[in-house]
Amino acid sequence: MSTPIAYFVAVSAMLFAIGTVGVLVRKNALVIFMSVELQLNAVNLALVAFSRMHGNLNGQVVAFFSMVVAAAEVVVGLAIIVTVYRRRQSASVDDLTVLRG
Amino acid sequence: MLDLVWLIPLLPLAGAAVNLLLGRRLGKAAGWLATGLVGLGFVLAVAALVDLLGLPADQRVHVANLFDWITVGTFSVDVALRVDPLSITMTLVVTGVGALIHLYAIGYMDHDPRFGVFFAHLNLFVFFMLMLVLADNYLLLYLGWEGVGLCSYLLIGFWFERPSASSAAKKAFVTTRIGDAAMLLGIVLIWLHVGSLDFGAVFGRGASELTQGAATAIALLLLAGAIGKSAQLPLHVWLPDAMEGPTPVSALIHAATMVTAGVYLVVRSHVLFELSGTALTVVLVVGLVSALYAALASIGQFDLKRALAYSTMSQIGFMFFAAGMRFYTGAMLLLVCHAFYKALLFLTAGNVLHGLHDETDMRRMGGLRADMPLSAAWFTLGALSLAGIPPLAGFFAKDQIVGFAATSGREVAWVLASLGAFLSALYIARPLFLTFFGRRRGREHAHEAPGPMQAPLAVLAFLTVVGGLFLGLTAEGGRLARFLEPVVGVVEHGEAALPEAALISISVVLALAAVAVAFWIWASGRVDWEAFPQRQPELAGWLANAFYLNTLYAWLVQHPGKAFGRALTVVDDRVIDGAVNEVAEDVVDASGVAPRIQRGFVRSYALAFLLGAVALLLFLGLRA
Amino acid sequence: MAPDEIVFWVFAPISIGSAIAMLLQRNAVHAALFLVVNFFTIAVFYLVLGASFLFAVQIIVYAGAIMVLFLFVIMLLGVDREETLVERLRGQRVLAVVLGAGIAIELVVAIRAGIGFATKAPANFDETVNQGGNAQALARVLFLQYFFPFEVTSVLLIVAAIAVVVFASRRRRAITRAEAVTAGHREAA
Repeated sequence: MSTPIAYFVAVSAMLFAIGTVGVLVRKNALVIFMSVELQLNAVNLALVAFSRMHGNLNGQVVAFFSMVVAAAEVVVGLAIIVTVYRRRQSASVDDLTVLRG
Repeated sequence: MLDLVWLIPLLPLAGAAVNLLLGRRLGKAAGWLATGLVGLGFVLAVAALVDLLGLPADQRVHVANLFDWITVGTFSVDVALRVDPLSITMTLVVTGVGALIHLYAIGYMDHDPRFGVFFAHLNLFVFFMLMLVLADNYLLLYLGWEGVGLCSYLLIGFWFERPSASSAAKKAFVTTRIGDAAMLLGIVLIWLHVGSLDFGAVFGRGASELTQGAATAIALLLLAGAIGKSAQLPLHVWLPDAMEGPTPVSALIHAATMVTAGVYLVVRSHVLFELSGTALTVVLVVGLVSALYAALASIGQFDLKRALAYSTMSQIGFMFFAAGMRFYTGAMLLLVCHAFYKALLFLTAGNVLHGLHDETDMRRMGGLRADMPLSAAWFTLGALSLAGIPPLAGFFAKDQIVGFAATSGREVAWVLASLGAFLSALYIARPLFLTFFGRRRGREHAHEAPGPMQAPLAVLAFLTVVGGLFLGLTAEGGRLARFLEPVVGVVEHGEAALPEAALISISVVLALAAVAVAFWIWASGRVDWEAFPQRQPELAGWLANAFYLNTLYAWLVQHPGKAFGRALTVVDDRVIDGAVNEVAEDVVDASGVAPRIQRGFVRSYALAFLLGAVALLLFLGLRA
Repeated sequence: MAPDEIVFWVFAPISIGSAIAMLLQRNAVHAALFLVVNFFTIAVFYLVLGASFLFAVQIIVYAGAIMVLFLFVIMLLGVDREETLVERLRGQRVLAVVLGAGIAIELVVAIRAGIGFATKAPANFDETVNQGGNAQALARVLFLQYFFPFEVTSVLLIVAAIAVVVFASRRRRAITRAEAVTAGHREAA
């Protein structure tokens, strides 16, 4: 492979940054959640890239676990969003201000 | 006895303490205790006098050093009492007349709920006055000086529930304070120039070491204190108002003793005054002007006690006048005689107040001779003595002073002094006739004072009659003059333009004429003096309001003072309170801002997280 | 240019582009679809990097299961409505972009400092590590070295499934004691 590993990691960094901005800027809870998934994927990419660099499969294993856990997390998270939607009839995160000081 | 002279002030001090602590339980005994202690003090003073007379004339000085008072660095002052002719004279007057007034007060203050406290204050006053006259150094004198000022405040304001009384007390204290402050400066100057405050050192060594300028400064500053305490112009405004106090207080403090403290101070410090010629001249002028001013003011007063108050101021003016001419023995003779007849006059006025249930306006008196024959007799004696009718005491004292003015080469002074003497007779005959003679204008029937209250008056009347004959038959040869000579020096006077007999006749004629004029205006019924204020409102106003000096002072001092106070209140409210409130408001505003951080938006929290994360990464990155 | 380079330089822009596009979509469904595209590109990257098993898993699980689930929920709830463009929090967008750029820059700098942009991967990955194929090699590592975490993860999946069933199915439930007390207070006040 002739592409420097750092390029993959750079792509991962940028995807992570984009996911972060997405979490902060979007109001729709589901879209925020999707941005989080983007961040997770960016991290997985970095893991696999480093795994290639180091010459062992540890990174891939961790990425594998990460995917599993992400799946479980998505399930629970969506259940929560559905419940919240049922209560408040709104999926906008800005409407959840109960913690207001 | 001379070594035990400290007992004399200590007795009334003990009396004050006892009466303050146990006064209520003692009841009437408090008054007897107080009187007894002062009387005992008088007896001890007489014993001291005898001891003193036992010494040869030029050695009649005994200093009893009690204990070291202050020793700081090079500054050292002891509590030391000095017994010499001058101080023993004052002591005898204070304790003698004081005891008589205490006795009178037992009857006068009989119904007062704070009977014990009154006598405690009176005793305390006597203590301080004795410390003043017996002190052997200026600091101890100042202690007594301030102490009598305090007691004066307490006693003028004795009936403090009356706003007029409490403000009169304040006025007295504040006005004399001005003089006292100057006096303290003078004492400091003495210390700076002489290095000691003991009389012996100051008048001995100091006399030779002081420059004329320093002596003048010191003398003038001390004089300022004397002016305040003796109610001379311009610090006299407190004395008429001081009549708010009970009449025994007026008699003791504001006639016989405290107000004469200024004269005592001048006479005692005569060495310093003589070193500076200017100061003596100032003393003379102040005395003469005060005497004339007060005489005119007294004629305009309708309040009996206020008329007597101005008369006191005038008489003290005469004493200062005499001292200013270096006629110290004459000043002292007048001081002693004045104590007799002024106390007599005031206490008799007390009888009148007592009989008329505290009526003081002479326009509502008149013809009381019929109801109160005894008091009328006392008052007549006192008035005639003050007027200078021979052979009463006042004649000798007054006449010697006026005569001295004639011999001293100051013709103008003699004329003015004679005028003053004429006015004195006039202004004292006036209340005599207004109160006891003429048509009865009041509605009440006055009852005479009871026996116990008359006894001291009898003694004082006796002294008024014989005092002059005994003490001051002639200016140089009188007993008092010769007694005081070692202290104050020999009386030196020159020749007068007229022979002595002529001078005496002139003054007697003036006195008699004044009394006659007074009789005609105020007792004979031929002059409608009651209509005078309406016919001549301006003149009457000037006299009644003592030439509006009070108003002037109010305008000069009180109004700026109050305005300053108001300004400070504004500063306090707006600036200081404002600053505090401002701080509080700022805190409230800040706490209004703070909740804006926590508005409940998840995304804001997330942003905060990110901010922290970025900062942390930056920090770690820069460190590596 | 080597084949992997071409692949990289084609799919990297697509990856980043689709991510940004996902960010900018007002419609949630559109955003989800763009995310799917992104996942595909990442799967390709996995392939290039020698993780063929993960390439498959990525497509099957992420793009095929997770994103489908997302789309189900979006359309079930009907929240594909357009999101308003008005930003209520002042400075949120600016700060977010700035900080996001900051994160990216910091990471890139860290990479440069760490491994440098020149390091190439060892060439013989397939022969040494992926002996017998990536799946087999991965299985070897997974079931031998990482067996315990593997079991734990499976438990996690079961728990998550049960939890969701319980969670989402509750319609009526007993009022808890705390809620009763609160309601009582509210009535008294």
